[in-house]
Amino acid sequence: MRRRKFLKYCTGVLGAVYATVLAVPGLGFLLSTLKRGQQEEKTYQLAKLKDLEPGVPQRFSIIDQREDAWTKYPSGPIGSVWITKAQDGTVTAFSSTCPHLGCVIDYVPGDEEFFCPCHAATFQTDGAMVSGPQPRGMDDLKTSLKKVRGEQWVVVEFQKFETGISEKIPLG
Amino acid sequence: MLSEKTKQWIDERTGYKKFFHAIFLLNFPTKRRSRWQNIWGGALVLLMLLEIITGTLLMTVYSPSEAAAWGSVHYIETQVDLGWFVRGLHHYVAHMMIVAVIIHIFLVIISAGYRKPKEFVYWTSLLIGGVIVGLTITGNPLPWDQKGYWSYQIETGIAGTMPGIGSSLRSVIVGGSEFGNLTLTRLYTIHVVVLPVIAILLFTIHMALVRRERLRTAKIKEAADDPEIDFELDEDDPVKDELTQPYWPYQTTRTLVLTLILIGIVILQMLVYPTLKNQHVAPGLAEWEMDLPPSEIKLEAPADSSIPYIARPEWFVRFLFELRHMVPKELEVLVTAVLPGVLLAILILVPFYEKVLGEKWGQRLAIAVYMGGLLIICGISWYGVNLERSAPDYALKRSQEIAYAARASWLASENGVPPEGPASLLQNDPKSIGPLIFARHCGVCHTWNGHDGTGHYIMEMKDGKKVKATPRASDLAGFATTEWIAEFLTDPKAPRFFGHLGTTKGGDAILHGDMSDWADSYVGPEGVLSKEDIEAVAALIAREAKHRNAELVSESVIKRGVSVFSGIDFKDKSGKVVDFDGYCAQCHAMKAGDPEEEGGGAAPDLNGYGSSKWLSDFIRNPEAEHFYGEKNIMPSFEESKLSQHDLNLLVNWMRGEWQRPEEEK
Repeated sequence: MRRRKFLKYCTGVLGAVYATVLAVPGLGFLLSTLKRGQQEEKTYQLAKLKDLEPGVPQRFSIIDQREDAWTKYPSGPIGSVWITKAQDGTVTAFSSTCPHLGCVIDYVPGDEEFFCPCHAATFQTDGAMVSGPQPRGMDDLKTSLKKVRGEQWVVVEFQKFETGISEKIPLG
Repeated sequence: MLSEKTKQWIDERTGYKKFFHAIFLLNFPTKRRSRWQNIWGGALVLLMLLEIITGTLLMTVYSPSEAAAWGSVHYIETQVDLGWFVRGLHHYVAHMMIVAVIIHIFLVIISAGYRKPKEFVYWTSLLIGGVIVGLTITGNPLPWDQKGYWSYQIETGIAGTMPGIGSSLRSVIVGGSEFGNLTLTRLYTIHVVVLPVIAILLFTIHMALVRRERLRTAKIKEAADDPEIDFELDEDDPVKDELTQPYWPYQTTRTLVLTLILIGIVILQMLVYPTLKNQHVAPGLAEWEMDLPPSEIKLEAPADSSIPYIARPEWFVRFLFELRHMVPKELEVLVTAVLPGVLLAILILVPFYEKVLGEKWGQRLAIAVYMGGLLIICGISWYGVNLERSAPDYALKRSQEIAYAARASWLASENGVPPEGPASLLQNDPKSIGPLIFARHCGVCHTWNGHDGTGHYIMEMKDGKKVKATPRASDLAGFATTEWIAEFLTDPKAPRFFGHLGTTKGGDAILHGDMSDWADSYVGPEGVLSKEDIEAVAALIAREAKHRNAELVSESVIKRGVSVFSGIDFKDKSGKVVDFDGYCAQCHAMKAGDPEEEGGGAAPDLNGYGSSKWLSDFIRNPEAEHFYGEKNIMPSFEESKLSQHDLNLLVNWMRGEWQRPEEEK
C-alpha cells in the first residue's frame, strides 16, 4: 500500500527533525563543559628564602580568587605546595596533590619522607616514589627567586595535574 | 539492524514486540480514520517529552538557591553553548502547551469526547491540563529574578487567601512565612519531581482509558490484541483500512506535523524576541540609561525585595489578578480561592449537562460556556494589561526595571556573581541604588534634573489637582561641576539654586544672604566680573571635586580663577590690574585659590568641594563650623539615619562614579 509506505516515510523524516531539534542543542549544552577549567599559569610569591629551614619541606597555601561557573569567590585557599630549600640553597617545590587519586600529601619529619594518608603512598624528599599505589612521583613545580625590597622571595608557578596516570599532564 | 532470527530469539524471551506495539501505539486504532482534529493530544505528548529532555539538560546547570539560582540561569544564557536555545525552548514550549491544552479541550468538547463512556478520559485530560498549568507556575520563578520572585509572591499570596487552610498551605509551599532558600528548593522539587510524576501517572491512566475505549469500538479487536496479526498484513483486505486505521503511521504523521509547526512557532518567537519580553517599552527614560541593548538582556534583575518591581502574574492567571482588583476587598477571597474552583467544577461537570438538557443542547451549552468563559477571561486580561500600560508612569517604571536587568546582567558578565548572591550586584552599585537613596533621603527637598533621582516627580495636591511639588532646596544634578558652579555664581537666587529656600524656616537668610548680595554687586553687565572670570573661578573650584570626566583646565584659566578667588593681580574687563574687594577668600577657604591662605571661615569651606570626602562630611553634618554653621537649614544625616554603606553609594552616584565599560581615552 503506497499511502501507508509514504506516511511511514514521513513519520521517519519528521521524527528525525524532532530528534535533531533536541539532540543538537542538547549535545552543545552538555559538551560545553569541556571548555571549562582551562587554567592559566599563575605564579605566586610564597616565602622569603632566608625563612626556609634548609632540608625541611614546608607547606604553603596558595591564596587566590577563584571563579567557579557563575560564582566569583574572593581570595581564599585554592591549593597548597611543599617547598624545600636544599643545603646548597636551591629551592624545589612540589604540588601537595597526590598523583594517585588527589589526596593531600603530608610530610613526616622523623622518617624524612612525604606520605599520603589515603592509600599510604610514600615519596622521597626529592619527590621520587618509595612505595604505594601512585603511578608517578610528586609533581614538581617551576620555581624562581625574585628580589622584593632587598629580600629574596620564592616564587612558584602553581599548576594542577591529572591524577592516576604515569604522565604528568596539566589539567584542562 | 538485527536479523529477523535474532529479533525472534529476543522476542521469545522478552515479548518486546508486543510491548513496543503497545508503547508506540503500533496497533492502536484511531477512530475510524485518522483526523487532523485528533492530533492535539499526541502533540501535547511530544511537547511534554521535549520539556522533559530540555528540563533535564537545564537541571545539569541550574542550582536552586537564593545565592545561585539567578547566576546559574545567567550562566546558561551567556556561557553554555546553545544554552539560550535550550532554555528558550523549555520556557516558551511550556506556554505553548497551555495554548495546546486550551485548544485540545475545546476540540474534545465539540466532538463530544466527554460523552459516555469517555467521562474519565475527559476528566483525566482536564487534570493533565491542570498539572501543565502547575508546571508553568512553578517553573517561572525558578530563575529567581524580579519577575519570577514577584509573580510567585502573588501566586502564593493567592494560595494564602484560601479560607481555613490558606496560611498553612502557603507556609508549606513557601517553606516558612517568608521567601528564602526553602522556597526555592521546594519549588524546584515540585517542578522537577512531584508534578512530572503526577503528569506521567495521569497520562498513563488517560492512555489506558483511551485504548480501552478505542479497542472496544473498533471492529478489529482481535487483530489489535494479537501482535502477530499486524496491520502490515492488511494489503489483502482494503476494507479493513476503510473501517479503521492504526495510529501508526497515519496519525503519527499528522501529530508530528503539528508538533513541528508548534515548535517552529516557538523557535521563531525565540529568534524575534531573543531575551526579555515586554519589548513594547522604549527603555532608557529619565536617568535610566541601559548598560546593554535590550536584545542582550537575558533575565530580569535578580530578586530583591528592596528594589521596586511591579508584580505581574503569568498571563494565564492574569484574569484572577485583575478580578481581584475589580471587586470590593471583602470579596477578594471569592475571586482568588473560590472562582478557580468554580471554573474547574464547570468544566468537570460538562458530561452531566447532557443528562439535564439532552445531547444536543447539553453540548451546545458546554461549547457556549467554554467559549464564553475564554472570551471573558481574555477580555479581562486584555483590559488589565492595557490599563497597566496606559498608566502615566508605566513606561518609566518599566524602563527602570529593564535598566536594572541590564545593569545586573552586565555586572554579572563583567565581575561574576559574588558568593553571597546576585542581589549584591545591584545593592553595592552606586548607579543602581544611588537614585533610590537620593529619592528617599534627599528628594524631599532637593531635586535631580527636576525629579527625585529615579525619574519620578514629587506630587502635591493644589486646588484639587495633582501638580508637581515645588522643591525646597537646590537641584543637585551636576553639583560642583564647572557649569553648575558658573550658573550658581551668575544667579544664586535662581530656582535651581537658592530660589526655593525662602519657604523653609531660616532659609531666607541664605536666599538673601551674602552670596546673593555678592552676585548682585559683582556679576552681570554692571559688575566688575566678566563671564570669563566667572567661568575661570568656577573651573578652579570644580577642580576640587576631581570628577572622573573633568576636562583639563589650562594654566591661564587657573591663574585667572586664582585672581578672582584671592583678589591678587585681578584684572578688570579692560585688562587693567585693579583692586577687587569681592574676592572669594574673604569668606571661603580653599588653598588652591588662595596663595596667602587667608582662609575665609564665614562661609562653607571649599577645600575638596564636591569630592567624596567633602560631600560625605557635608551630608553627615552640614551644621559644622566649616560648612554652614549657624545658618544651616539642612538636616544632618548621621549614621543612624544613613548608613556609611548607603552614604558612599549616594556620594558615588552623585559624582557619577560607578563601574563602566573600559572607555577608550
